[in-house]
Amino acid sequence: MATDNSTLHRNTGFSIGKTELKTATASRQELQDLPTPARPLIDAADVVVPDGYTVEPVLVGLSFPTDISFADDGTIFVSEGGSSWPTRPYMPARVIVQHPSGKTEAITMNVQAGPRSVTWHNGELYMAFKGGYHMQIARYNLDTGDLKILIDQIPSGGWHEPGGPIFGPDGLMYFGHGSVSQQGVCLPAGFTVDLAKHPNAHDVPGQDVTLTGNNVRSRDPRMPYPYMVETGAFKPFGAPAKKGEVIKGELFCNSAVWRSRPDGTDVELLAWGIRNPFGMAMNEAGELYVTDNDFEEKGERSIANDPDRIWHIKNAREPFGSVKTPAWYGFPDLCGDGLPVNHESHLPSRGTPAELLIENPPAWAGPAAFLEQPHSCMCKMDFCRSEVFGYSGELFVAEWGSLAPLNSPRPEDLNHGFRVIRVNVQKGTAEPFMHNRKMGPASAFNSGGIERPVSCKFSPDGKSLYVLDFGVAKVTPGNMLAFAHTGVLWKITRKEENNG
Amino acid sequence: MDNTKPTILIELDPETRSKHLNRAKAWFDNVLLTQGSCRQLVEDTVEKIEEPHIKQYLAEMAEQEKNHEAKARELFSVIGREPSDIRQLLGTVTGKARQALGDFIAVAGGAEVPWQDLHQVYLSNYNSMGAFAVAEQLGLALGFPAIVDVTFPVIAEKSTSQLLLQECVLEMCSMSILYKEDF
Repeated sequence: MATDNSTLHRNTGFSIGKTELKTATASRQELQDLPTPARPLIDAADVVVPDGYTVEPVLVGLSFPTDISFADDGTIFVSEGGSSWPTRPYMPARVIVQHPSGKTEAITMNVQAGPRSVTWHNGELYMAFKGGYHMQIARYNLDTGDLKILIDQIPSGGWHEPGGPIFGPDGLMYFGHGSVSQQGVCLPAGFTVDLAKHPNAHDVPGQDVTLTGNNVRSRDPRMPYPYMVETGAFKPFGAPAKKGEVIKGELFCNSAVWRSRPDGTDVELLAWGIRNPFGMAMNEAGELYVTDNDFEEKGERSIANDPDRIWHIKNAREPFGSVKTPAWYGFPDLCGDGLPVNHESHLPSRGTPAELLIENPPAWAGPAAFLEQPHSCMCKMDFCRSEVFGYSGELFVAEWGSLAPLNSPRPEDLNHGFRVIRVNVQKGTAEPFMHNRKMGPASAFNSGGIERPVSCKFSPDGKSLYVLDFGVAKVTPGNMLAFAHTGVLWKITRKEENNG
Repeated sequence: MDNTKPTILIELDPETRSKHLNRAKAWFDNVLLTQGSCRQLVEDTVEKIEEPHIKQYLAEMAEQEKNHEAKARELFSVIGREPSDIRQLLGTVTGKARQALGDFIAVAGGAEVPWQDLHQVYLSNYNSMGAFAVAEQLGLALGFPAIVDVTFPVIAEKSTSQLLLQECVLEMCSMSILYKEDF
């Protein structure tokens, strides 16, 4: 039996297949009395969209859905389940498939963390997975049942998420992965379970960096006594860094964005220093944009007032294979506004103020294409390509919503997010597109509106925007609890008289 | 709203829902069984301990355990089900049986009563805490906040009790095993 770390930490693939799904249909009246007390009511009338658009719930009862995609014939794919946000309860890791005929079935898979994204491309389904020490990108052929792991080297096993894959007009596959650490250093401030599952997980830079040696002191919750330990940047929890220590940059780093051929070969690192590039979208001109979520104001490396942001990955314009130096977007030492984490505007009102970790930071690739309110939690997004729907060329972004008061003590952060916005990436401005009558999740005021938008994608005909609603996640100053079977897929369509 | 295309419910049809709730009920019977066993063990162990502080800790814990057992019963009403009478009885019987087993292990391992009883309480509390924690996850999986409202405070109290029991077991093991004295 293998005992070396690299062999032990290698993913070994997983089983996958199709199964029937227990479904029923519901009238509008029946949606007023659902058997899930966490979300007993779904009512499109409680959702606000611009005049001239209609909203309808398409799928109700989803369990921790993460992404949506469409086949060319209009078949809908929704990834859901696994061990997600928070890590429990685990719900069946699967992709729900709704055919144009209305038939609904599931692609089920025996993999712990579950699919975090789903993308239909050239007749096959591409999915990104967390779980284990490496993220994976897999390709699944629905006709033959063949599953192929395309990418399996990117260091994961911590807090943040895979991004993509998406496919550009150039036919290349673009994907990303966030940082292992929540705050730039592996700390128990994230879920302690990560330290048990992956004690050796850590961030990896995309370029050589020299460390300041500023370690973070914290308690080790795994120990039976109150052990205090020091942890450095780009190190596993409990491993300190030395001043002047050089950490080698690697192709397969994290907090990064790459591209490759569709089969996962010829991987090219475009950018790093992006804390959580969960949302990725490319416009018709081939310009790549990624979402990124802000630092949290808590714990042993606490940072305040860091805006959520959308980065323009300019290296994606360069010819494939020509990027020799990846662009750096600031993690773990800069906030979204380009200011250092120890700048007075980012000093926390609770927790230990952050110190800088990198002595020789690369040149910053900012500013951001768009800055959003802290803790809005921008997630997956899509460019509108249709004059029929309206707002063609604008970027529609799902905002999962704040985790305050868990990750911020500021009252103004409590209702940030919980909506879909449309962003003009040229001007760096945005307008709300879909939200509740009162800002915040519907469950906060017993309405039938939206909870936490996690993804939004346009249908292949361009006529409708589908918004995937993660469902109910209740947050307190000490924890977050998410309820399964409360997710919803919403469909927004421009009324006929307006769409020609 | 476009009424020509009805909304699809995923696993929320009455048949699937009822099946899931019946399966949750079966686990809640387990919660009641393990909690009944734990309560019985704590109550009986209080009587065997003389040391005033540990006795006080356990006496307070015994009061909590009665409340935890009531909370275990509440779980059934949240999902519209009734507990199984036989499983409740089994809990009390299991508590007694564990004491007998504990006495046997105490003799074989060279430990004295009441340390072995304390050790059994330690294991039993861990077992019932785990049963409540699973019930909490089922509540989250079924979309029932009321189940979480019942279980979360119980798990928090049992987690504190677990630290206390561990401390008492580790503190007093030398008295029991090396000095062969009760306390």
